[in-house]
Order: sequence, then structure tokens, then C-alpha cells
Amino acid sequence: MSSHTDHHSRTGVVVIGGGSTGCGIARDLAMRGISVTLVERGNLTHGTTGRMHGLLHSGGRYAVADQESAKECIQETRVLDRIASHCVEMTGGLFAKLPADEEEYFQEKLQGCRDCNIPAEVLSGEEARELEPHLSPEVEKAIWVPDGAIDPFRLCVANAADADRHGGRIETHAPVTDLVVEDDAVVGVKVRHESGPGKRVHGKEGETEEIRADYVVNATGAWAGHVGEMAGLDIEVRPSKGVMTIMNVRQVDTVVNRCKPKGDADIVVPHETTCILGTTDEEVDDPDDYPEEQWEVDLMIDELSQLVPMLEDARTIRSYWGVRPLYEPPDTGTTDPTDISRQFFLLDHDERDDLGGMTSIVGGKFTTYRLMAEKISDHVCEQLGVSTRCETAEEALPGSEDFSVLRDYMDEFGLRSPIGKRSVQRLGSKADEVLKTGEPNPVICTCEAVTRAELRDAIGGSGTDLNAVRLRTRASMGNCQGGFCCHRMASELYPTHDESVVRESLDELYQERWKGQRHALWGEQLSQAMLNHALHATTMNRDRDPAKGSSAVEYADFDAGPGPAVDADGSTRATADGGVPDGGVSNESVTDESVSSGDGGDDAAGGTRGDQ
Amino acid sequence: MSKPESESEPTPDEYGTAQSESEFESDPVEAFDDAIDMDLRSGADDCYKCSTCDTSCPVAEVDDEFPGPKFQGPEQWRLKRGDDHDIDPSITDCSNCMRCDNACPSSVPLSQMHNTARGEYVEGLAPSLWNAEDAIADGEYREALSYLGDIPAELSIEFVRNRVLSNYGTMAGLGSKFPRLTNFVMSNRITKEVNDRLLGITGERDFPEFADQTFREWWRERGGPKVESADKRVAYFHGDYSNYNTPEVAKAMVRVYERFGYEIRVPTQRCSGTPMFANGMLRDARRAAEVNVTNLGDFIDRGYDVIASCTSCSMALRQEYPELFDFEETEKVSVHTYEALEYLRIHEDLEGELRDVKDVEFPDLAYHAPCHARNQGISTQAVELLSEAEGFEIEDVGDSCSGISGTYGWKTEKYDKSMQIGEDMFEHMRDAEGDTGLTECPTCAMQMGHGTGYEIRHPLEVLEAALVN
Ligand SMILES: Cc1cc2nc3c(=O)[nH]c(=O)nc-3n(C[C@H](O)[C@H](O)[C@H](O)COP(=O)(O)OP(=O)(O)OC[C@H]3O[C@@H](n4cnc5c(N)ncnc54)[C@H](O)[C@@H]3O)c2cc1C
Ligand code: SF4
Ligand code: SF4
Repeated sequence: MSSHTDHHSRTGVVVIGGGSTGCGIARDLAMRGISVTLVERGNLTHGTTGRMHGLLHSGGRYAVADQESAKECIQETRVLDRIASHCVEMTGGLFAKLPADEEEYFQEKLQGCRDCNIPAEVLSGEEARELEPHLSPEVEKAIWVPDGAIDPFRLCVANAADADRHGGRIETHAPVTDLVVEDDAVVGVKVRHESGPGKRVHGKEGETEEIRADYVVNATGAWAGHVGEMAGLDIEVRPSKGVMTIMNVRQVDTVVNRCKPKGDADIVVPHETTCILGTTDEEVDDPDDYPEEQWEVDLMIDELSQLVPMLEDARTIRSYWGVRPLYEPPDTGTTDPTDISRQFFLLDHDERDDLGGMTSIVGGKFTTYRLMAEKISDHVCEQLGVSTRCETAEEALPGSEDFSVLRDYMDEFGLRSPIGKRSVQRLGSKADEVLKTGEPNPVICTCEAVTRAELRDAIGGSGTDLNAVRLRTRASMGNCQGGFCCHRMASELYPTHDESVVRESLDELYQERWKGQRHALWGEQLSQAMLNHALHATTMNRDRDPAKGSSAVEYADFDAGPGPAVDADGSTRATADGGVPDGGVSNESVTDESVSSGDGGDDAAGGTRGDQ
Repeated sequence: MSKPESESEPTPDEYGTAQSESEFESDPVEAFDDAIDMDLRSGADDCYKCSTCDTSCPVAEVDDEFPGPKFQGPEQWRLKRGDDHDIDPSITDCSNCMRCDNACPSSVPLSQMHNTARGEYVEGLAPSLWNAEDAIADGEYREALSYLGDIPAELSIEFVRNRVLSNYGTMAGLGSKFPRLTNFVMSNRITKEVNDRLLGITGERDFPEFADQTFREWWRERGGPKVESADKRVAYFHGDYSNYNTPEVAKAMVRVYERFGYEIRVPTQRCSGTPMFANGMLRDARRAAEVNVTNLGDFIDRGYDVIASCTSCSMALRQEYPELFDFEETEKVSVHTYEALEYLRIHEDLEGELRDVKDVEFPDLAYHAPCHARNQGISTQAVELLSEAEGFEIEDVGDSCSGISGTYGWKTEKYDKSMQIGEDMFEHMRDAEGDTGLTECPTCAMQMGHGTGYEIRHPLEVLEAALVN
């Protein structure tokens, strides 16, 4: 590591990690008046948060085995429904019993829900099918619970935006490369900004910064051990992977769980325009490098079509994997990862390892992120001698203040009703500000109904990082997986950014879209991928030979305007007839490698993992 | 084919009594529509977003406000969530020509999606109107009045207009009781003004004239079939139009088929539903379809195939019924239904019969293929047949849509667009050698005549003139 550092700064608290936990902590601390800086190595939700299932747990899933977690879940679900309504869809959930499932467990589940104050109601098979017509005729009965669906991207962005509003600083694409330790205490972090501080711009030089702080919070989830190592700490995170498969449409509008003790492939969660099938639980050595295997995807479809038979032949658009940040206190000695508690742990390294100035938070789950943030913020405040109270359970997040989706979309926004409705659902109370631009507002992503105005707003918040734009808006996340809209999204960056920046952003987005589809290449999605490829090959020369070529595109070689292009020196250059040595195409693209390697473990372009 | 018993007796439901033919009969059908409850989100799985459907939509071509079939179908359905009922109003701008259906390389059920969404839209728009109707049917007049009080006037007028247009048979049934008077009144300038202003039915078009005698009256007077046969039997679905307005087409069908030795039956029937689908009146369509499916099903059981002389009617029985309704015999009726010329070409050597016929009544023909013929794969049948025959010169005037699409072109606000869509066809007809227009579809014929002033014939009429003494 070079000893030169480009920037030096000071802050009250550094939070490492921009997942739900880190974003929640940053908001909480900022609201308590503490100056806070959040640093994240990719974009927000780059880690596990961007690769989770999207279930807002009522607690029903834990009601038998882990009642402590179950109680926290129902409490937090109620809070989130209130403070994050634009990220939440209260779908309700079912625990459906098939003939093979134990009656005794069904009763235990019901009793467990009642014990934990989770509203639960028994439905007959017919009643359950009335609610969800595509449920298997085999389903004998079901327990209804108040599960929901939640969009992790919107939630994290809203938390970060609120931290920012309260004076916090959010730095993405800024991995922590070292912890600064002085006199047995962590006093700061070193980060490498991939494109200078501030919003990401492709092609901008990287810079380094040392951020000194009164306190450091390590909220890096499955990566907490890696960060700990930087100060010689041993944090026993046991990462465990799980697969999720995304269907093209919503076969169900309610969360559907199989009513049996823990098992693989037992839940379908409706998510925006899709349904997500999940999942597995398998310990891995390295949260950054683990195999993504086709049998896992097949298992999802085979098992879950027992519950919802139409899944068997339905179109899947992609699959993705996430790693759970499971933590096991020393000496527990559990061998099966599903036995590890879903609760969270605060590890104060002063108490634990005699290293002051830093606490790590590990374990837990997305649904209880706010509670976790509250606990650790209380702890940090105690260290800093601050006594402000936590208000995150009462104050609505930006976007969730008082809004209604019942609007006249055509009259108000000039949008067709399903487009207007989905936009307002995503934007929440920001809808008027974002959509009423007074300018033409075409739909750019037709699968997910995202208009130019919404994209421009997202670009305003994330620079040239089109993957971050995607996560904010859902653009390119529909059935064409970006084949018809990635380039339209990219052209929104022009002319603010020049051609090479736009091209690099486009390549990165298109890459990322392709990655997840590799696990869905059969049937309709295979046809889609081939059509996308052909379109991009014939219009953007994406099938070029990566081994050849110069670095810049000579646009004039394709279209020199009326008459031959004349250079400053008076010479005439080649025109559109192909008289160009290299086909006139840029190449040097590092990213091309990862397209062809197809091994699934790559993540060359930081910030492209966040999925769904 | 074995000869079922009592097959030579006219079947009891064949003629129908005046009573049961009345359009006002109340059917024992509960107001529960399968199509309205249908969830077609999974139909979006087949869409690749290629936009081929959009490029083949005649309405999108002339109407910049119309978002096109891809949006109306797979996109709108995919964006739906379980509890959503706000279908975009633009669904009512689709003319239901079904060209998109035919264009899609991936068999996305576009027209099924459109029809279902349109039904849902109308249902959502006018629950009070439907409730009022149901209340009237139940004799609860006070309740009916209370429903009607809630509705803004423009809405109820558009609804009434669309109901009038889509229940053409009801109006025609009344009108044809006094054909001369009705024709006089309907062609009256004042009536046209009133229709245009108050109901939104364009005054630019001449209302189709009612025949002095309906086809069914003629058939009854004639004493039914003149030919009996054990193995060549067809049940004729004439539809409203050739019953009330162009019985000459229906009669041509009878003469041609009898010339080839077919026994013809004319089951009791209601409108095929085509105009009802196009206007989202799925409740009406369902009532009509149930009568049709039940009656035609009986005939099929007794060895008859169903033939229709209107391509939209055969389309409805073959494709739309199975897509939208789930009666017991829907599927059976669907697979046993044919367009009349199609059926004859399958079973008879029409080419051979026509080869040496010279000196025909309509020698120079300009043919327009109805959109709904295209979907059934029969858009080239007339040209294939007649271009082989020495006595005829026939020219296809191109594959554009005529633009009228049943009731679409009758609406005041759609009239100009309808004529713009038809412009290609009019121009090609004028350029064509032929001076007689030819098409299987009665509303296309209306549009062809309206746009060019030509006389328009049905292929069955041409066959009748050439083959029946
Ligand atoms: C398959 C699966 C399904 C799940 N489903 C659900 C569910 O349906 N409901 C639910 O409530 N929970 C679910 N969970 C659990 C939930 O996703 C996690 O508990 C939660 O998202 C963890 O958030 P986090 O912020 O602690 O960790 P992360 O989201 O992983 O955040 C840590 C962040 O730290 C960053 N980071 C790492 N190293 C560095 C560094 N050196 N410098 C800077 N930043 C760094 C990472 O990039 C990452 O963004 C699921 C988990 C898995 C694996
Ligand atoms: S049915 Fe015809 S008018 Fe309607 S969307 Fe399809 S092509 Fe367009
Ligand atoms: S033609 Fe078919 S596949 Fe192509 S966009 Fe239209 S519906 Fe989709």
C-alpha cells in the first residue's frame, strides 16, 4: 500500500458498510446530531442487502425455532410499514400445508405465532386458493400472517438520503483499505475512492483519503472478519450462501411459505413485477468467491412448483446468490448453518479484544435493521457521551411522508395509468417533484415502466453509475433484462458526460444484466438473450473481437455527416463504407473478459453485484 | 358417418319460437364473467419486447396517442398487481382488429389480453350501470334509479352508445320489424344529427339498410332445408348482419351448399359477440356466447359442422370463445367451426368446378382480406380460388386494414382515424382493374363501399352466380 494519501478529514463516527445495517446506523446517528461518514466499497446495497429475498418478516418463519427473533420481526414490520411505506408492500403471507407436511408442526407454528403476538388465521385449502388461485390443489390448509415485501434498494437509499439531509456524508465506491490504529484504539480508516470523493464518475482518477473519527462502526456483515483483520482482530463470521430465482411475472400476490421445519426452497415472495423463489443455506469459505450452481436453481423450481404448480413451466429471468452474515459466538460449535441464530451481536472490541474505538455488528436480518441500528447507535452514543434519544421509529423516511397512489395519472403526470401508478409507488412522496418536469417524459424502460424524469432524478443521485440508477428505479430489471433499454438509459448521461464515459457505464450495466441471466438460459429467457445479443451485436458491435482494436471509437468514420469529413489538416477520412482498419471500434474493455469467462465469481467492476 | 336418430326432423330449437328469438328474453345466466376474473399476467412470459405487434397495429399507425398492443397486452398485464383494477382507458381505442395477434412471433395472447382488460375496464367504469341493469332485470326499479343517479352524463351516454352498437342485433331485431320505416328514419338527416350529437354515432356513414325480409323469415317461409344428407351436414351461423341486412349472402350460401349436396340447418343463435368484445361488453357477450355454444354444440353432437359466412363470426367461435369463456362445449364448437368458403374448399373441388365457367356476372374483382380472415389463415383463399378460374380477374388490394373494425369506425370520435386507416385500401381499390369489390366481412364491405363507392360482394355471392344455374 502506498504511503501517500490524497485527502485527510475528520468526522464524529465512521460507519463502514452501506448495507441496510450501515445505512440505518448512519441515519440514526445523523438524526441524533452526530457527524457521521458512511463508506461503502460498492454502491449502496452492494453486499448481502442487495442480494436478499425481499421478505418483510412478520416473524412467522421464526415462530417455532427462534421466538426472540420472531417478536422483534413483528414489532419492526409494523414500524417499517409506517416509516417506509414507499418501500413496503403489505402482501400478507401464507404457511401452506401439503399432505406430506406434519400436522403437529402446523399446530406448533400456529401456537408460536400466537405466543409472539403475530396475528395468525387458519384458512381452509379453498379459502387459501381463493386468495391465491395458483396455489396447488393439494394444499390442505394454511396459516395467514402479516408478511410483506420490501424493496431493499429503496430502503437503503432513503436511509442514506435522510442521513445526508441531517448533515451526514455518504461515500460509495470507497472501500476501506486499512484501519488506523494508535495507542490500542482505532482512530480512523483509510479509504480508496475509485473515482475521487463524491458521486461516481467513470474514468475519473482514483484517490485516497484518511478519515479520522472519534468512533468506528464495522457494519460490513459477511465481510466483518476481513475488516477486523486489518486491526488484527478475529471475528468469527460464518458466511452462508443462498440462491434466489426471479420469475418474470407475479404468480402470487401473497408471500407463500411451505409449512414445514426449516428446509431449502420453501418460500415464494412477490417482489414488484416479479416473484422470487428461495432459498438455500450453505456455508462458504469466502463471501466473495463461492460457486453458483445450476442444481440450486433447479431445486428452487422443482420444490416450489409443488406449492405453486404453474412455476414449473414459467419463465425465470435470472438467479442470484447472497451470503448471510451469520455469527457464532466462540465455542458454540454448531455444524449446520441453519442452526445458527438469526439474532444480531454487538462486538465491542474494547471489551472483547482490548482495542478501543470500534464496535462490530454482525448477524441479524434485514427486517430488524432499524432495531439493530438503534441498539448500536445507543452504544456509540454512550461511548461518546451523547444522550439524544433515537427517533427512527417515529420519523418517516424521505419518500414515505404522507402520500397516496390514488391519483389521476394522466391528468397529473401525463402518464398511462399503470405507468403512473408504478412510478408513484416507487417515488412515494417525491412523485410530484420528480415527475412534474413540464418536459416530454417518455417511458425509457417499458418492462418496469420507468420514465425519463425518474431516471434523471436517479442519475442526479448516483452519478454515472447506471447500476445504482437501476437499483433506484428498477429500469432494466424486467423481462428484456436491459436488452431494449440499457442504451437508452446510458444516453441520458449525454451530453453531461462524454462518449467514453457513457460507453463505459453502459458496458458495466449491460454486463451486470447479463451475469444474472446466465442462470436462466433456457426457454423464453434464452430466446430473449439471443434477441438481445443480436440487437446489440448488429447495432452496437458488441460481438467485436476483444483482442483487436484501438481505444476510441471514430464516430466520424461511421457518419461523417453530409459529404466527406475533412480533418484540420485538410485530409479526407474514411466514410461509412467500411474503409476503416479496425472496424472503427473501441476496445480495451477490461469488462469483456468477465462476459466470456462465465465462471460466476467475478466482480471486476465494483458495484455490479447488487441484484434482483 | 352413422345417421343419428330423428335427424331428419327439424330440431325443436332450430327455428326457435318468436319468443325465444327475442333479444329481450332473460337468460338464466348469472352475471359472473370468467373473462373479467381472468389473470393473464403469465401470458407476458412469452413476450420478448420485439415490438413487431406495434408495427402491425393500424390504429397505432394513425393515432399517436394510442400506446399500441405491446403496452396494452403484455406490458400492462405484467405491471399489474393482484388488487389493481385501473386499466388504462386507451384500451378502448383498440379496434380489436387482432392483427397484433397474428403478427406476434411468440404467440403472446394479445387479443385475449386486450379483450379481458377491456372487459375489466368497462366493468370498473360502469358498475353502477350494470347494477342498474341487473336491478331492472330483477324488477327492483327503485334500486335501479338509485344506481343511475350516481353517474356523470357523458359516461352513461358513451356506455349507452357502445351498448347500442355492440348489441346491434337488438336494434336490428326491432328495426327489421318495420324495415321501410326504419330505413327511412335512419337515413334521415335529423336522425343522423341526433345520433352524432347525442350518442356519438357518426353521421358520416349511411346506416345499413334493413332487408324487407330477414334471412330467418325467408328460411322459414322456404320450409328449411331442401337437401337432406347423412354425411354432408352443416349448421349455419349467419350472425346478425346477414340475417337483417344482407340476407342475399346467406341465401347464396344456402344455394351454393345445396348445389354440393349439403344438408343445412339454421340453429337458434345470438350475435357472435364480436362487437361486444370490441366494446368491453363481456357480460353481454357471455350471455350470447352461452346460447350459441349450447345450441351449436347440440348440432355438432348430431354430426354437423358449423360454418359462418362472416369471418369475424367464425373468429369469435373459434378463438375468442375459448380464450374468454369456459362453457362445457366451448372447445368442441371451436374445433368444429369453419368459414363457409374455407369449408367448401376443404371438402369440394371448387377449382375444378370453376375452371371452365366463363361468362360470369362479376368478372373483375378487387379483393380485400379482412383482418380476422388473416388470423384464421384464410386471407388468400378467394384469390387462390378465383385466380385459377378462367372467367375471373381478381386482384388483392393489399394487406392493410380496412379501418372500420366493426363498430370502431361508427364512433364519431373514431371516424376520421378509421378513414385514415382505410386510405391505403381505397387507393389500391381505385388503382385495381376490378370494378366490383370482394370481401368476406360485412363491415369491411361497408367501409369499402363508403370509401370508394364500389359495389361490394361476398365470395359466396360470386360462387352462387357462377355455379348455381
Ligand atoms: C439468501 C438470503 C436471503 C435473505 N432474505 C432475507 C429476507 O427475506 N428478509 C430479511 O429480513 N433478511 C433476509 N436476509 C438477511 C439479510 O439480507 C441480511 O441480514 C442483511 O441484509 C445484512 O445487512 P448488512 O448491512 O448487515 O450487511 P451487508 O448488506 O452485507 O452490508 C455490508 C456492506 O459492507 C460492505 N463492505 C465490505 N467490506 C468493505 C470494506 N472493506 N470497505 C467498505 N465497505 C465494505 C459490503 O460491500 C456491503 O455492502 C437474507 C440473507 C440471505 C443471504
Ligand atoms: S387488435 Fe388491432 S387495433 Fe387493437 S392493438 Fe391489436 S393491432 Fe392494434
Ligand atoms: S410481437 Fe409479441 S413478442 Fe414482440 S413485443 Fe409484441 S407481444 Fe411481445
